[in-house]
Amino acid sequence: METFLSNLSLGFSVALGLQNLGLAFLGCLVGTLIGVLPGVGPVATIAMLLPITFNLDPTGSLIMLAGIYYGAQYGGSTTAILVNIPGEATSVVTAIDGHEMAKKGRAGAALAVAALGSFFAGSVATLVIAALGAPLTRVALMFGATEYFSLMIMGLVLAVVLAGGSVLKAVAMILVGILLSTVGTDLETGDERMTFGLIFLSDGIDFAVLAMAIFGVAEIMRNLAQPESRDVVRKPIGRLLPNREELRQSWAPVLRGTLMGSILGILPGNGAVLAPFASYAMEKKLAQDPSRFGKGAIEGVAGPESANNAGAQTSFIPLLTLGIPGNAVMALMVGAMTIQGIIPGPQVMTGNPSLFWGMIASMWVGNLMLLVINLPMVGLWVRLLKVPYRLMFPAILAFCCIGIYSINSLPTDVMFIGLFGLVGYLLIKCGFEPAPLLLGFVLGKLMEENMRRALILSRGSLSTFITEPISAGLLIVSAVLLVAAIIPNVRKGRDEMFVE
Amino acid sequence: MTSRLKHNTKWLMAPQNFAGGIALVSIAAMALWLTRDLDPGTLSAMGSGMLPRILAWAVGLCGVALFVSAFLKSGERLERGNLQGPLLIILAIFAFSATIRPLTIGPVTTPGLGLIVAVPLSIIIGGMASAEARIHELVVLSLGLTPCCMFVFCDMLNLPIPVFPQAAIEIFPDGWSAKSILRISALVMIAAAVAIFYTGRQPGLADRGESE
Repeated sequence: METFLSNLSLGFSVALGLQNLGLAFLGCLVGTLIGVLPGVGPVATIAMLLPITFNLDPTGSLIMLAGIYYGAQYGGSTTAILVNIPGEATSVVTAIDGHEMAKKGRAGAALAVAALGSFFAGSVATLVIAALGAPLTRVALMFGATEYFSLMIMGLVLAVVLAGGSVLKAVAMILVGILLSTVGTDLETGDERMTFGLIFLSDGIDFAVLAMAIFGVAEIMRNLAQPESRDVVRKPIGRLLPNREELRQSWAPVLRGTLMGSILGILPGNGAVLAPFASYAMEKKLAQDPSRFGKGAIEGVAGPESANNAGAQTSFIPLLTLGIPGNAVMALMVGAMTIQGIIPGPQVMTGNPSLFWGMIASMWVGNLMLLVINLPMVGLWVRLLKVPYRLMFPAILAFCCIGIYSINSLPTDVMFIGLFGLVGYLLIKCGFEPAPLLLGFVLGKLMEENMRRALILSRGSLSTFITEPISAGLLIVSAVLLVAAIIPNVRKGRDEMFVE
Repeated sequence: MTSRLKHNTKWLMAPQNFAGGIALVSIAAMALWLTRDLDPGTLSAMGSGMLPRILAWAVGLCGVALFVSAFLKSGERLERGNLQGPLLIILAIFAFSATIRPLTIGPVTTPGLGLIVAVPLSIIIGGMASAEARIHELVVLSLGLTPCCMFVFCDMLNLPIPVFPQAAIEIFPDGWSAKSILRISALVMIAAAVAIFYTGRQPGLADRGESE
């Protein structure tokens, strides 16, 4: 307990420094500004804003990126409530009842409950991270190459199982992602792999290039193909403070959502994406009058929004303690950390405690800021929502180009976002989801490295992955999950959950 | 043609998976061809070719499974999309990368024109990708957004991005600092954006604003 407090106070002494406070504020503000644009999700927002954090010191840049992430998430919820265009999977649920509330002139209450619920969830999740950080890191330090490899397999399997849609297609995308990660010079033998003899490919494909291509450029191409229908609420926003009745209805869903989100977010696959769906289903089951759901029930906003935010935050746990990103956003954070010269993993906490705890404390600070800056600025967000897409996407395109160019000052990098963007667009057209590809790409290098090391230690025997107890356990869990996902009954239940 | 399409839908139950399967198999085939010379090594000393080849086979297998399933299980149709939009977007990106700084591809070297040309170029070309594009709006947008980019990325963040055409830098008098030139030209562009925006509202003057 004492170390817990001293760690947190170290964290707050870093996070409350004037510069870091300013960066967290700026991150939240810019993140919301971009995230609120319809059709721009958190991943695209972070990818686009990544370059502006390059010139900062590592702690500052991670604090700012985390701020951008929360801002983008919150911006996405605002869009979901006011326009009924969820920017990403996790705010789909918010759109159902939130938008109905907005249509009835209660947008202010919906936004306020979402913000208050998120703040509460964020505060709890910060404590969860602080409490679990140290013990999980100790576990992680016992892991060798064999265990790491199996853990990553489990993470990828979980990502497949928890995502909606076809299992086969998700597996294929992960494999393509890992395949892309092997492009470039092989570090052990020095061989050039799949580079077409091109010099700029010998360093491998840049992570930021791939992320921006499939979440920025391909997304623009996809949006252009669909006719735009935007349903911006014309009713007044209404009071911004929920009344006593609304608060009474929301506090229990907020508590339950927070609990559910915190637990699901820790899973080393994309558990957080499940949290709002699970919370919505639960609130509907528990409600005295389930028919209110879908027609503007405040519980349907309070629960999922809290679950969403708690999950978003606890999904930092696998990244910070094990060095394994659970979803596309965390994959971007790995990219950002690597650019800053930090290798994510258990050694971050032991070797760089002020960065680790500073970042955790800044999560709470960021949540507080969201509450303070977002509600008064709702009017501005509403005006931004009215910008037509035909003006928005050229600007996004220009930002993507400048952002990518500024990373390495290479025009060829910029060309690559065009090429990969087209490939990504064609894959989306064939019904593939881009997120597993990115996850596979990020984990690919780590996996190959650990697999090689494990096989060297075992003198080339593949049985090492099953004879080591921890590794065997992880693989068994993954196998059970994968089989379960393919069994028709479970699969039906899973699909139903996403449809709801 | 229509009769063939109808016929197609009878035995081809999931065109989307059909196309997806072909895409995966071609990715796998390309990877296998590219890694044909790499040494796979042995399990105790993995060579550079082992993992890529295993992965390529796995991707190919997924592709075949998807391809076969397209004939057995009904699924989504392949939506018809026009390629004009995506191609214009790519063209815009290529225009940006060719003009931002000198780029040599084979025998051709493009002139480095800097941010001040690259950004408007990409906005206008890319903007045409939308079916509702209006050139007048795009000109205003590019004239308004470029100075913002110059302020944020080059002035405030100090990122090493060339702003002006290389030839133009020598024209400016020696005594001027790079930052003040940047700020002055940014302000001029914003003024131009405002001017075009207002003249564009009067129908008779819109054409003149565009041609400039």
